[in-house]
Amino acid sequence: MSTQITLTSSDGVDVSVDRAVAERSVLIKNMLEDLGDSGEAIPIPNVSNRPFPCLGCVYYVRTSSPPSKSNGDDDDNRRKTTDIDEWDQKFMQVDQEMLFEIILAANYLDIKALLDVGCKTVANMIKGKSPEEIRKTFNIQNDFTPEEEDQIRRENEWAEE
Amino acid sequence: MPPRPRPSGRLSSEARSETSSSTSPERAADDDTDFFMAQANDSQSSIGVATFRDIHVHASRSVPVPPIGRLPPEILIATFSKLVSPVDMLNCMLVCRNWAANSVGILWHRPSCNNWDNLKSVASSVGQPDSLFNYADLIKRLNLSALTEDVSDGTVVPFTQCKRIERLTLTNCSKLTDKGVSDLVEGNRHLQALDVSDLRYLTDHTLYAVARNCPRLQGLNITGCSKVTDDSLLVVSQNCRQIKRLKLNGVNNVTDRSILSFAENCPAILEIDLHDCKLVTSPSVAALITTLRHLRELRLAHCLEINDSAFLNLPEQITFDSLRILDLTACENVKDDAVERIVSAAPRLRNLVLAKCRFITDRSVSAICKLGKNLHYVHLGHCSNITDGAVIQLIKSCNRIRYIDLACCNRLTDTSVQQLATLPKLRRIGLVKCQTITNRSILALAHPPRANHPMVSNLERVHLSYCVNLDMRGIRPLINNCPRLTHLSLTGVPAFLAVDLTAFCREAPPEFTQQQRDVFCVFSGEGVTRLREYLNGESTSPQEETEATMYDDDEELDEDEGQMTGLMHATGINDEDYIDVPPQ
Repeated sequence: MSTQITLTSSDGVDVSVDRAVAERSVLIKNMLEDLGDSGEAIPIPNVSNRPFPCLGCVYYVRTSSPPSKSNGDDDDNRRKTTDIDEWDQKFMQVDQEMLFEIILAANYLDIKALLDVGCKTVANMIKGKSPEEIRKTFNIQNDFTPEEEDQIRRENEWAEE
Repeated sequence: MPPRPRPSGRLSSEARSETSSSTSPERAADDDTDFFMAQANDSQSSIGVATFRDIHVHASRSVPVPPIGRLPPEILIATFSKLVSPVDMLNCMLVCRNWAANSVGILWHRPSCNNWDNLKSVASSVGQPDSLFNYADLIKRLNLSALTEDVSDGTVVPFTQCKRIERLTLTNCSKLTDKGVSDLVEGNRHLQALDVSDLRYLTDHTLYAVARNCPRLQGLNITGCSKVTDDSLLVVSQNCRQIKRLKLNGVNNVTDRSILSFAENCPAILEIDLHDCKLVTSPSVAALITTLRHLRELRLAHCLEINDSAFLNLPEQITFDSLRILDLTACENVKDDAVERIVSAAPRLRNLVLAKCRFITDRSVSAICKLGKNLHYVHLGHCSNITDGAVIQLIKSCNRIRYIDLACCNRLTDTSVQQLATLPKLRRIGLVKCQTITNRSILALAHPPRANHPMVSNLERVHLSYCVNLDMRGIRPLINNCPRLTHLSLTGVPAFLAVDLTAFCREAPPEFTQQQRDVFCVFSGEGVTRLREYLNGESTSPQEETEATMYDDDEELDEDEGQMTGLMHATGINDEDYIDVPPQ
């Protein structure tokens, strides 16, 4: 069994990675199981029209700590907090567009740990902000009527404590 | 009332949860203490996209999609579910319609009803026919246990329309009757976990409703519902066949009839607790162990009818590798023959409680030795036949023991404790009323042999009440060498009843008599630290500091860091039984 495999992103960029690394993507792992060990490049068509997210994901799984730490079975810890370790934080220091690309790629490739870090990063951008500040942060239009906003506040009063 | 308009193309949360159950995010687990929370994977509840009841389509407004608009609903939901504070979730709801639809399910997944005002607010939104969302359908977990006896059948009326509740926790809402609870259960096909501990008014009526309505039930805790009988439990066992966790503590009408039926019909059972179900006899126990191949935890404390035959009739040649926890407290008809059989049938037992099985002897202890490193927790309190020889053998064979209780094993001497001190992982030790032990034992615990021992002692809780020979020459080194020590009980030890020391001791429980108070001496939490400082001459005067709240009575309740606790609040073993009662 070869230890290196080649992945091709939708824009035709080839990346060579350790099989063990690539298999941290459940999608790729399943593909490898289905295709057998043909030695041919594995196409990853849905990942972006830009090379970075695909490379980014590969880079992430290659360099981040092994599964035992932040993904795998330890679901509880992963879910509980929005704590992100320093390395992950640095990895996620990209512009918003890139951040969402990475999240989408991680989702598509089914790399749980990375998807998780992505979601936590976005959650941290939300925490402690008012609705207006959140809209500003993500450039979102407010499409509520003032009455609807009032109604939401009224009906969810218990959450404001 | 005419049905509300339902716009086409809307996603209902049900559709979502069925198409993407694997990605349905859990809301961040938090302080909620309902008893099924520990094993989140068993009955993950689902969160989906909600819909506005009256949707105003804003399609005509063409708004440029910001980058975050590319995230599909499931990722938005996964993101929102990382938020812990309801305020943050509410702020997300207020951002825009799309975010509202994707966050409302998380906010309402488990509405916080920990005080009366919240409950009123939640109930009023649930009951409102023209609310923005159909909140009733979004509630998946409802926990009213914080409100205890303030909750009446009237209180829960608004929630009877919440037909998608998956976990319903009503612990200690003792005013609730069959009416309130069965109305909540009626029509709910989604219920997975029901905790009605200590709702003493409940009868078979409620359990029949559960059996009729809840085929997906996985956890049932009816601790203390003493009016419930076999009649309804039999029907529950036949209808709720996915049950994994069953807690019938103190439901003292339960007999073999329903237990045998659970064994026969509910193969998924992982944990069963029959504490104080005094009518249950050996055939039930044999059937549970033999037929439930996943059984992990079996608690039979105070099931006094159980005898050796429960175990001697287990089929030969089969081992029950799933069984990890067995509690036979006070099953005094269980004797050496049974213990030998138990150990060979369940070689992977991790927790074994034989407290008050007073007829067992060194033969049982020798058998337990075969559990080797699997054994982490062993309770042999009041097994007073046990001698030093057996304990020494036990410690040599099972060196991963973290918790050992030998209360009232009054044949034991310093030799046993010196051997116990060599256990590298030992965290809790109970030696209450082991009256012959001396400071030599305590010095061994304080200065364990270094060969196979970590540099720092792991001891956290040490129970030495009524070990009357102890004094400061043993205890001072113990306190100074065990940095993790958070509990030290020395009730009834004369050397520690001096006023200057009891200043650091916590308050005696309110129900104690004066005589009991006079000998009460338990240091816990900060009390240990300050006793240490005082003994080392670092503290000036005890009086100045006593007003701080250093006594944490709750600590005594959080027995055994989850080892004893299955998912349900373990009644476990209450050390206080041994510690704080005066000598007879």
